[in-house]
Amino acid sequence: MMTEVLSLLQQAADTSRAYGHFPGIGGRGAVWIAAEVHLMFAAFVLGVPMFAVITELIGIVAKDSKYDKLSKEFTRLLVFAYSATALWGGLLLFFLTTLYPKFWQHMATVFSMSMWIYAGLFFVESFTLYLYYYGWDRWKVGRAKWGHWGLGILLNVWGTTVMLIANGWLTYMMSPPEGVTAEVLPGQVHLWAAIANATWIPINIHRLIANAVFGGAIVAAYAAYRFLSATTEEEKAHYDWMGYVGTFIAISTFIVLPFAGYWLGREIYEYNQQMGITMMGGFMSWLWIVQAILIGVLFLAANYYLWLGMGRIPGAERFRPYTKWMLLVLVVAWIVWGTPHTMIASRAEFAAMGGSHHPFLSVLGVMSAKNTAVNFMILTTFLSFLMYRRANRRPVVPWAKGGTIVQGVMFVLAAGVVLFYGVYGYFVEAIVRIGFSVYQVGAVLACILGVTVLDIAMLRGSESRGEIQWGKMPDRSQYALFVLAVTFTWLMGLMGFARSGIRQHWHIWEVMRDTSSQAATPALGYAANMISVCVIIFLVLVAFIFWLGGLAERTAANPQAAGGH
Amino acid sequence: MWRTNVKVGLVGLVVIGFYTTIAHIIPQLESEVPSSLDLSGATPEALVSAGDQLFHGAGGCTACHGLGTRAPNLLTDHAGEGPIGSRCGTRESGVDCKSYLYESLTDPHKVLVSGFEPIMPDISRQLDNDQLWALVAYLESNGGTVDVTGADIQRTATASAAPAGGAPAGPVAGGSTDPQQLLNANACLGCHMLGGSGGAVGPSFDGIGGRLSADQIREAILDPGATTAKGFEAMAGVMPTTFGSQLTAAQLEAIVGFLSRQR
Repeated sequence: MMTEVLSLLQQAADTSRAYGHFPGIGGRGAVWIAAEVHLMFAAFVLGVPMFAVITELIGIVAKDSKYDKLSKEFTRLLVFAYSATALWGGLLLFFLTTLYPKFWQHMATVFSMSMWIYAGLFFVESFTLYLYYYGWDRWKVGRAKWGHWGLGILLNVWGTTVMLIANGWLTYMMSPPEGVTAEVLPGQVHLWAAIANATWIPINIHRLIANAVFGGAIVAAYAAYRFLSATTEEEKAHYDWMGYVGTFIAISTFIVLPFAGYWLGREIYEYNQQMGITMMGGFMSWLWIVQAILIGVLFLAANYYLWLGMGRIPGAERFRPYTKWMLLVLVVAWIVWGTPHTMIASRAEFAAMGGSHHPFLSVLGVMSAKNTAVNFMILTTFLSFLMYRRANRRPVVPWAKGGTIVQGVMFVLAAGVVLFYGVYGYFVEAIVRIGFSVYQVGAVLACILGVTVLDIAMLRGSESRGEIQWGKMPDRSQYALFVLAVTFTWLMGLMGFARSGIRQHWHIWEVMRDTSSQAATPALGYAANMISVCVIIFLVLVAFIFWLGGLAERTAANPQAAGGH
Repeated sequence: MWRTNVKVGLVGLVVIGFYTTIAHIIPQLESEVPSSLDLSGATPEALVSAGDQLFHGAGGCTACHGLGTRAPNLLTDHAGEGPIGSRCGTRESGVDCKSYLYESLTDPHKVLVSGFEPIMPDISRQLDNDQLWALVAYLESNGGTVDVTGADIQRTATASAAPAGGAPAGPVAGGSTDPQQLLNANACLGCHMLGGSGGAVGPSFDGIGGRLSADQIREAILDPGATTAKGFEAMAGVMPTTFGSQLTAAQLEAIVGFLSRQR
C-alpha cells in the first residue's frame, strides 16, 4: 500500500493541478485576453489577404498599377501583423497549458493530430506570405505576375485551413458530438466527429465573412491615419481612395453577416434548446441591446462617411436633400432596435408603469419591431451606396428613366413588405411571427440584388459628370472610419463573449464541468471591461504596426535620410 | 502629427468608453453555477426550497416553462388540468407523480405533452441526482403532495452511478463513479481512515461530512494545499495534487457526495 502511495506522490510531483493561478485577474482573465487579442490579429491576417488578392487581380486585369500598389500595401501590414498573431497564439497556448492543464489535456488528446497539422500549416503559410511580399517586385510582369497572384491564392487557402482547424477545437467545446459524455475518455473521441460538430460549418461561414469585414475596417482605419498625416495631395488622394475601398468591402460584406449569424443561432437552438435560450432569452438577453447600439453606430458612421464622400463627387449635390430624411430613418430605426422589452426602472417607476413592461415602449422591444428596424437600416445604407455610385454618372441608355422608376418601385416594395410583416407580426402567434423575418430579409435581399443588376446595366457606357476629387475629404470623415474600426473590434469581442459565454460553467458543454472558482459566467459589465482592455491592447499594437509600415516605406523611399546622413 | 495622434487616440477611447458605460448601465445578470446538494436526509421542506431555487435559478427551467409557448406552464394551469403537482400523477398510466417527473427530467422525450416539440434536454447531464429530486419535490409542491424520500435519492444515485451500457472506462477506476471503488483505486485509504481501516497520514473520512461542506471537500481534493487540517500541519504538501486531472467531473462529484454523507 505504501508503495502505491509513494507512486501517487511521484505522479503529483510530475503533473500539475486542474487549475493554475494567475495573479490579479485570475486564470480566466489571462486566457480571455490572450485568446481575444490573438483572435483579433488572426481575423486581420485572414481578412486582409482576401482582398489583397482581389485588388491584385483587378490591377492585373485592368492594367492599373494603383490597385497593385494598394494590394502590396495591404500585404506589408500583414508581415508585421502575422508575427503578432503568432506571439499571442503562443501566449494563449502557454496560458492554457499552465492555467487549465486538465482541460488542455483533454483537448490535446482529442485533437493532437489536427494540432500537428495546424503547426505545419503555420510554417507553410508564413513562407508563402514572405514569398508573396518579398517577390512582389521581382514577379511583377507577364506570367510571373500570374504566378505571384497564385501565391496570394495559396496564402488564402492556408490561412482559411488554419482557421477551419481552430474552429473545430472551439466549436467542439460548444457542441461536442452526441455520444461524447463526461464518462467517455478523450482518447476514444473520433477526431473527425469532434471537428465536424453541429456548429462547425456555421461558425466557419460566419467567421469567414466577419474576417473580410474586420480586415476591411482595419485597412480603412490605416488609410484614414495615413490620410490625416499625409503631406502631399497625391498621398491624400491615394489614402482617401484606399479608405473608401476598405470601407466599401467592410460594409458590403457586413450586410450579409446577420444572415450567417441567424443561421449559426438556429444551429445552436437545434443542437441544444437550453443553450439557445440562454443566448437569446436567458441571462445574455441584454447583450443584444448592447449589440444593437453598436450596430446602430456602425450604420450611422458608414452612412455619414458616404454622405461626406459625396461632397467630392461632381453631380452628387442633387442627392443632398435626401440625406436628412435618410438620417431620420436611421436614427428612428436605431432607437427602435435598441429598445429593451423590459425596462430598467426604480420600484416607484415600475409601480407607475404597472409592471416591468412599459405600456408603449415595450411594443417596440419585440422582434417584430426590431426586425423591421434593422431591415430599414440595411435598405437605407444600400440607398446611400447607390447614390454614391451614381453621383457622377449620367446614364445614356434610352430606358434610363424607366429603369430608375423600376428601381424606386423595388425599394418601395421591399420597404412595404418589411413594414407589412412587421405590423402583421403583432397579430399572430410567436411561432408564425418567427417565420416572417424570412420574408422581410428575402424582400431586402431581392431589392439589393435587383437594383444592383439594373444599375450595372443602366450605367454601362454612361457619361461622367466629372471625376471624383480623391483627397478632397474633410478630416472628420476619416474619424468616422476610426469609429467604424473601433466599433467592429469591440463588436467582435462582444460576440466572442456571447459565443463562449453560453457554455456557462462548462469547459466542454455537458462533458467537462468548470470546477474552478471562476466558473460562473460574468455579467456584461465585467465582460465589457475585459473586452475594452482587449480592444485597447489590440489597437495600440495595430497603431504600432501602422507606424512601422510608414517607417519601412519612408526608409525604402529615402534610405539616406533614414540613415541620418 | 502629434495632434493627429492624440485626436485619433481620444476618438478611440471615447468610443470604447461609450460602449463600456452602456454595458454597465444595463442589468448585470450573472450565470449561476448549480451548487452541489446533499439531500438524502433532508426534510420535504428543504427539498422544496432547494428545488425552488434551482427552478428559478441555475436550473434554467423558467426560460421555457412559464411562457406557455415553448413548453407547458408548470406552476400555473395548463389545459384546464391545474398546475403540475395536480396533473403529474395522471400523465402516464401506472406511473406515480414523482416517477413521472423524474422521468421527464432524465428522459424528456419519452412522454411528450401534446402540442409541444421535443426540445427539452436531458437535465441529468446538467444537474446531479440530488438536484433532480429537489426539482421533483418542488414541482410536486405546486398543486400536489410532496412524497420524495431519501430512499428515492439513494435508489437513483446507485442506478446512475453504474456505468451505463458498458460505458468506456474513465481515467481512474475504469470510469466507475462508485465512490468506494474510486477511494480504493486512488489509494485514498492509504492515508485516510474510513470505517476503522486506512492510514493516519491525513484526516479521517469518518464524520468528514459534519466537519466540512461539500465545497470544502471538493477544494481539498482539487487543491489540497489551499488549507491544511488542524493537527496535520506537518503533513502539508504530502497529498497529491493530481486528482483534478485524474478524475472525471462525475467521479469527483461522486467522491464529494459520498464524503459529504459521512457524518
